[in-house]
Amino acid sequence: MAERLKAVDVVTVGVGLTGAILGKELAATGLKVVGLERGPMRDTVPDFQSPAIHDELRYAVRKALTQDNVKEAMTFRNSTGQTALPMRRWQGFMPGNGLGGAAVHWNGLTWRFQPADFVYRTHLEGRYGKGFVDSDLTIQDWGVTYAELEPHYDRFEYLCGTSGKAGNIKGVVQAGGNPFEGPRSREYPTRPMKEPYYGALFRKGAESLGYHPFPSPASTLSEPYTNPEGLSLHQCVFCGFCERFACEHFAKASPQTVILPVALKNPDYELRTGCQVLRVNLDSTGKKSTGVTYVDAAGREYEQPAELVLITAYSLNNVRMLLNSRIGKPYDPVTGEGVVGRNYAFQTMSYASVFYDQDVVINPFMASGASGTVIDDFAGDNFDHKGLGFIGGAYISATMTGGRPIEFHPTPPGTPSWGLGWKQAVARHYNHTVVLTCHGSSHPMRGNCLDLDPTYKDAWGQPLLRVTFDFPQNDVRMSRYVTDKAVGIGRAMGGKIVAGAPRERPYDSTIYQTTHNTGGAIMGNDPTTSAVNRYLQSWDVPNVFVVGASAYPHNASYNPTGTVGALTYWALDAIKNRYLKAPGALVPR
Amino acid sequence: MKLGPWIGAAVAMFGLAAQAQDNLKRGADIAANGAGDNVPACSGCHAQNGIAGGSGAFPRLAGQSAWYMARQFADYASGARNSALMGPIAKALSAADGAAVAAYYASAKGPFVFNNRADATLIERGRQLARVGDQAKQLAACNNCHGPGGIGGFPAIPFLAGQYADYIALQLQMWKSGSRKDGADSMADIAKRLSDQDMAAVAAYYQQLREAPTQAAK
Ligand SMILES: Cc1cc2nc3c(=O)[nH]c(=O)nc-3n(C[C@H](O)[C@H](O)[C@H](O)COP(=O)(O)OP(=O)(O)OC[C@H]3O[C@@H](n4cnc5c(N)ncnc54)[C@H](O)[C@@H]3O)c2cc1C
Ligand code: HEC
Ligand code: HEC
Repeated sequence: MAERLKAVDVVTVGVGLTGAILGKELAATGLKVVGLERGPMRDTVPDFQSPAIHDELRYAVRKALTQDNVKEAMTFRNSTGQTALPMRRWQGFMPGNGLGGAAVHWNGLTWRFQPADFVYRTHLEGRYGKGFVDSDLTIQDWGVTYAELEPHYDRFEYLCGTSGKAGNIKGVVQAGGNPFEGPRSREYPTRPMKEPYYGALFRKGAESLGYHPFPSPASTLSEPYTNPEGLSLHQCVFCGFCERFACEHFAKASPQTVILPVALKNPDYELRTGCQVLRVNLDSTGKKSTGVTYVDAAGREYEQPAELVLITAYSLNNVRMLLNSRIGKPYDPVTGEGVVGRNYAFQTMSYASVFYDQDVVINPFMASGASGTVIDDFAGDNFDHKGLGFIGGAYISATMTGGRPIEFHPTPPGTPSWGLGWKQAVARHYNHTVVLTCHGSSHPMRGNCLDLDPTYKDAWGQPLLRVTFDFPQNDVRMSRYVTDKAVGIGRAMGGKIVAGAPRERPYDSTIYQTTHNTGGAIMGNDPTTSAVNRYLQSWDVPNVFVVGASAYPHNASYNPTGTVGALTYWALDAIKNRYLKAPGALVPR
Repeated sequence: MKLGPWIGAAVAMFGLAAQAQDNLKRGADIAANGAGDNVPACSGCHAQNGIAGGSGAFPRLAGQSAWYMARQFADYASGARNSALMGPIAKALSAADGAAVAAYYASAKGPFVFNNRADATLIERGRQLARVGDQAKQLAACNNCHGPGGIGGFPAIPFLAGQYADYIALQLQMWKSGSRKDGADSMADIAKRLSDQDMAAVAAYYQQLREAPTQAAK
């Protein structure tokens, strides 16, 4: 029997990025908030220390900061006709574990989506007519607009101290920034990072083709900064250990550096680590949550009653939590009905490697996860898709994330994959290669979805999440088109060999692309096609909010976390200023 | 025929080695005798073996990064690093002479000695700051940049282990007050988080890290 604890006002399921922000803010209003985090407590000091934190084998290869898949894996298949099998090692993506979540070992690329993304179907049909979008793509409008989110994007970027150059302030295009971006209310909080040599080569090449390069938006800071919470960040030292690692320099925005210290000082906020939430509990009507049930590190089970439950466990875990708690109707890929698990999407990544002669010295290890130069000319709907046969696009960038020795081994096509020939090629090319990234949009299609696995269970006996995914043909066509453009830039950069590798089917869960899993508990204005309303409130259980990229109806051409941050503040605003005044559904069903 | 390129390479390498030897000699000469009217002998203050006495009024140069020292000359000359003593010397020092004397002191090997030992609690606090940092101050461990044991992250980051405590503390004060700046501007923000007590502690810790065994026995 679970021990019943004293009731509190708010529980967050997970204390990563979204959980930390919401926990801090709601405790500041005087509510009693409990943050339940399954992983360990950890902080910059004393846990993230050089040189131990730069252990590539431990963190990058063996993924020490990632969800413990001995306890809790996921199963995977490419299509509904196959039998899904458990992922025994995280390779395709790496959900975080421990205080701060994946936002501890992220890269810090901090993007906004395009205004068109939020009204996606309306926008595309308006521009290209009905029937232009492949019929298997289940894209839809988000129920929120860019203009509504803008102040929340702004707030998130100022929280993180993001370094960059605005391209559009209140409708006025700014030299040096991204001319395609939606209007911002003001400049980035800190100046762009210094341009690495690979970025400079890319800038020249892209400019010679008439494209519009600008510095990559980075929450690895260019200069010391104190955020509105009174917490300060240091300047990034370009050590090359962001992605998959924690920052020892207080230079990368993470819950630990930008918000948690404030929450932890507030007696109304209580953090409990090592606490695995099993489910969100419902009352007998099934329409109201009574709190959550969790197991602590010693294996004791507790019931934590709460007035408001915020599911902030990362997109994939958010969806699993809903399914295991029986909140919302599960999606059925055969009939297309149901909402929980619907519109799972990912990211369509591809690369072009630019190989130089040995007199061009790149020093790829001098980098942050977000330093570099980008063009937005082929992202989203920034270019005319008439006659191209696909929707969406990708930003193209030279953002090399650190050239670390075990995993960075660029070799030109035709190189043997092992042995002396391979070693010689690695030695020859390591320091003379620029890898360009095409960071592509990912569209939902009917068969791609999340549900509970019928066979495999976690350490607590609960069904694992089953991921069913393959790239839609639309996205494969997009990838070929944009990768070609990247190859063109590589040639203009003076590469002796330029090798493009567009993304092809089938999706392979053993190849890392990004940890940008989206959808499954999507937002919208219609309860038959969305799991949460425009404020990320469950349609079915109004005292549950589901916050994170699980709310995305599709994934845009950008890294998701800027939009996760904006949606978190957007939901917070609705909770604070509307829900708490009159608890109940914020949008009538 | 086939030996041709090898002989060429060997000659070139020998040439480089010889050049480096000449450079070191030139550096030793400047250290001992100065260069022209406006560059006094460095040894007067830093000693010929680079250990600078032990008082802590002058920094130890022996074994310091050459690149870092050459960069300091530029910062002294521009005034970014404010010093009434080193400013005029750096201005008068040519780039080639600066590189030569920096290379000389980088290669110098003097013993680690110091005059003033701090008490153990102060050193312990210093050890914490140096190796672990201070979460409440959002301050990273110094060794994250200055290398394990404070041996430096050459070429850009100087060693601290074995540097004189008074000198270290003074430099931290200079950053805090804005009278020392550097290109990357890494240190000012760090120094601003340190109290006077912190500075004394971390300085005392680093000073005693590489003392000679005979000293430690006392
Ligand atoms: C290697 C890597 C690089 C990335 N780089 C970028 C980038 O450059 N730009 C970008 O935009 N995004 C990036 N991301 C994505 C980014 O990290 C996420 O978008 C962000 O962390 C999402 O925030 P979240 O709060 O939804 O989830 P998280 O920050 O992951 O937090 C979720 C928390 O919930 C906890 N939790 C889960 N289930 C339970 C449970 N049952 N009980 C209790 N606790 C639970 C988890 O342990 C975790 O701490 C990257 C991710 C990775 C892994
Ligand atoms: C009159 C005494 C004096 C002479 C002579 C002198 N120095 Fe200095 N030097 C100092 C002092 C004092 C400092 C510390 C100044 C400060 O606080 O920045 C210093 C600092 C330095 C530093 C910076 C060390 C560090 O760790 O950052 C270098 C390098 C240096 N001196 C090299 C030289 C060289 C080379 C010469 C000879 C050409 C020379 N000095 C001559 C007094 C002297
Ligand atoms: C982010 C990296 C970083 C961290 C962390 C750091 N330093 Fe430094 N430090 C530097 C760099 C770079 C320089 C060289 C500056 C220059 O070129 O003038 C430097 C120089 C110094 C110097 C000057 C040494 C000399 O010979 O003049 C002192 C003293 C110093 N640091 C002390 C500290 C202490 C104490 C700490 C911890 C509280 C610390 N540093 C943490 C990067 C760092």
